Parts: sequence; structure tokens; C-alpha cells
Amino acid sequence: MQAELKKYPEKEKSDNGDSIIEISHLQKAFGHNKVLTDFNLVIRKGENVVVLGKSGSGKSVLIKCIVGLLKYDSGSLKVFGNEINTLSNRDLDQLRSRIGFVFQSSALYDSMTVRENLEFSLRRHGKHKTREEVKHLVEETLDDVGLLKAINLMPSELSGGMRKRVGLARSVIMKPEIILYDEPTTGLDPITAREITSLMLDMQAHYNISSVIISHDMFCAQKTADRLTVLIDGTNYADGTFDELSNLDDPQVHAFFEKE
Amino acid sequence: MKEDSAGKNMISLLPPGMQNFFNEAGGMASFAARFFREFLVPPYEFREIIRQSFEIGYRSLPLVGLTSFIIGLVFTLQSRPTLVSFGAEAWLPAMVSVSIVREIGPVIVALICAGKIGSSIGAELGSMKVTEQIDAMEVSGNNPFKFIVVSRIVSTTLMLPVLVMLGDAIALTGAYIAVNIAGGVSPVLFFHQVFQNVSFADVIPSFIKSYFFGFAIGLVGCYKGYNSKKGTEGVGRSANSAVVVGSVLVFILDLIAVQITTFMGLF
Repeated sequence: MQAELKKYPEKEKSDNGDSIIEISHLQKAFGHNKVLTDFNLVIRKGENVVVLGKSGSGKSVLIKCIVGLLKYDSGSLKVFGNEINTLSNRDLDQLRSRIGFVFQSSALYDSMTVRENLEFSLRRHGKHKTREEVKHLVEETLDDVGLLKAINLMPSELSGGMRKRVGLARSVIMKPEIILYDEPTTGLDPITAREITSLMLDMQAHYNISSVIISHDMFCAQKTADRLTVLIDGTNYADGTFDELSNLDDPQVHAFFEKE
Repeated sequence: MKEDSAGKNMISLLPPGMQNFFNEAGGMASFAARFFREFLVPPYEFREIIRQSFEIGYRSLPLVGLTSFIIGLVFTLQSRPTLVSFGAEAWLPAMVSVSIVREIGPVIVALICAGKIGSSIGAELGSMKVTEQIDAMEVSGNNPFKFIVVSRIVSTTLMLPVLVMLGDAIALTGAYIAVNIAGGVSPVLFFHQVFQNVSFADVIPSFIKSYFFGFAIGLVGCYKGYNSKKGTEGVGRSANSAVVVGSVLVFILDLIAVQITTFMGLF
């Protein structure tokens, strides 16, 4: 049975320059390997942006710079108005509690159950002090991703699709303002990939979260993106909506939209 | 800044093996400095420290107990003929107990723990690193160093002296059985001789150096695992070098402890 993708109304986007992420002239190199050479991007509140690029083009490096896992060499990267490279560890941790991150590998804590995975950040950030509140929120979030029955399972007992769902639940439970997805549908069969795409749309609508999605799954990109940016040679080579880019007369961009 | 680059330039003149050694030593020293910074600043991970202490202490007890028992037994059986040939058989409990408490007990237990605990921490953290679990903790605004590293180093530091004390007691039990195999000696007589010859000057330094052994084992295991690279191959390397470096550090610390206690005139 294929997952049905629901239609959601266009989200209200602020046109008053209410940007969450502002990236300008970003550069990042590993030794002599220049990964990002001049990357520019602005993401506004409520916006979902897909970053397309070939493997090894620097997509994951970009979102790791956004969340402060990697330090960029030069340029400017502001998240909620804060220049990431200049933040202290404490300020960075504060900022990160407003950002969700869904890893390609899900990165579930394998010594903890599904419940403990979701409780981990909740308990630490002290947003929900009572045990009952934490329990209720964990169950509600797992129910949202359709995995309430797996609450006491260990990550090793979950399938790839289930792990992605738990990874997503672990991010949204903190009520982030933006979620960064690192190839959310890679490695999944087409049906499960559709289910995850559908779930991402559900979460975006339900929690009103903006997102940056790193992907080369064009179905996922088409359904989730308000806007796409194509990362080639370390720069944002082309920007636009899915329709605009798919009709662009450029062989490098067109290659992403070609059907097999 | 200038001193930094001057230091780097000097190190770059050394052969690659020496460069690696100094890089590792520097990395480990800065890792230890970060441990002390994070250890002193709240919040404290009490629950995780208790959980790790259970994993590290209680779960290592069967192995530590078995090996200590065998060491006590074998050491006594092999020492006996020599003492008999000198007509000094009566000194056997004294010699065995002082050797076990001062040296054999702490070092053997520390080496066993370097193997069991060091490799387990190195592999666990290495696997967490390569599967991005440490990154996941970091991006969710939690401090993985405090949760993972500080709790484990504190636990190994606290648990190793306990394991050494229990190991010593079990090794002395093994020694008593070995003495009894050759000739009937009552447990009261045996342990009376043990306590007559073992003083606080033997027990305290051995207890103190066990803390350092535990700290070194935890530090090396965490450092190797936390800085693991190159996927699953890196996990294996982390576990392996955690054991090797941890064991070597135990011997180096033991050498330093012996020098200090000798200098202080305790032995």
C-alpha cells in the first residue's frame, strides 16, 4: 500500500525579511579540498528549502556548519541572527535547542530504548519537569509518527524506516523552529521513502517547522520544497521552485530532474 | 601564537613516529584538561556515573575475582619451594601478602581492567562516534563530553580501587588455599601472619595509585574512542590502542608510584 501524500495549505510566509538562516559567501575546505567556495542562502520563517547536489558536493558539510558541528573558514553564517562561529559553547547549546537535526543514519542512541531516546533531551533541557509530562509528551510524539507500539524497543530491533521515524520524533519533540534533514529518504525502499516524505509534511504542518532538506530524492524534493537550491562546485549554482528549476535549460541542473 | 607555531615547527623536524607520539600526548593532555574543566562545572551526571560504575565495577568483578584468585594461588605455589629450600617456609604468608597488596594486586587488576574496561569504552565510544550518536547529542544541545566522557572517567577512577581491594582479598584467599595444599595451616594463623606483616604504609600507597590507574584507563579509553576515525576499522583500532596505551600507562604510573614511595621512605 502506498503512502498517500496529504495536501496542506500554503504556509504563511513573512515577507518582512524574517529570516532564520542567513548564509553569505560561505567557504569551507578540508586541507586542499575546497568543499564550499562561495555559498549564499537565506531561509525565512516557515520556509522549506531543499539543497540538491551530487554525493560529495558538500551538502552535509553545509548543514553541519549551520548547526556548528563544523567551523567554516570564512564568510558569514547567521542562525536566528547569531553568527555561528563566534558563539560560545553554552550559547551554541542554547541555539541548538531551537534546531532539530535528522541524521541520514538516524543516529539513535543504541544503548537506550526508543522512549529513552526521546526523553534524553527533554529531561536535560528541563522543559518538562514532571515525569508524567515527559511520559505524556513522548507517547504523543511517538503516536504522531505511528510508532507508539515500539516505545520500549531498542534501536537494534527497529527497521530502517522505523529508525527514521524515531529520529524525526526525537527532533520534533523539542519543538524546534527549524529542522535540518540530512538525506531523510536515502537507503529506504520507495514505499517507505514516500511514507517518510509524507511524515515530514505532517510534522511541518503540525508543528509549523521550517526545514532545510539535503536530498537527491526528487520525489521528496518536489513534495516538501517551497524552494530548491542546487549546490555545484561549492556554490549555490541555481535557486528556484521545483518547476522553475526543472524547466531550466542548463545541463548540470537538468541532470537532477532527468528520469531514469 | 608565535610559540605555538614554533612548537609545531620543532615537532615537524622529528621523524613521523615521534611526531605521532607528541601529537597523541598533546591531544591526550588537552583531553584531560577538558575533563577537569567539565568535571568541575555543573550540571553533574550522577545517574550516568552510577550506571557506569555498575557497568565498570560490578560487571568486571567476576573476571577480576577469578584472575586474582588464580594469581594468589599460583604465586604462592611457585614461591613455596624456594622458601622451603632456605628453611623460610614460615615467611610464606608474609611474603605473599606484602607482594600482593603492594604490587601484584593493583597492577594485575589494572591490567585486566585496561583490557576489559579500556577496550569496551574505546569500542563503545568509537562506535558512537562513527554512527554519529555523539554528533546527535551535540546538535540537540546536550554536552556529549560531560555525559559520555566525564561519567566514564569518574567511574573508572572510583571503581578501580574498589576492584583492587576486592582482588587483593580474593588473591589472599587463593594464597591461603595454596598454603593449605602443602601443609595444614589454619585460616586464623594465616591471616594473623598476613595482618602482622601488611601495614598501612603498604595499603595506602597501593590504594592511591589505583585511583591513578583507573583515571588513566578511563582517560585513554575515552580519548581513543571519542577521537575514532575511519569507520568500523577505526572502532577496532580505538579499542586496540585503548588497551595498549592504557596498559603501558599503568606500568609507567606504577614506576612513578614506586619511586615516590621509596623516596618518601614508606618501603
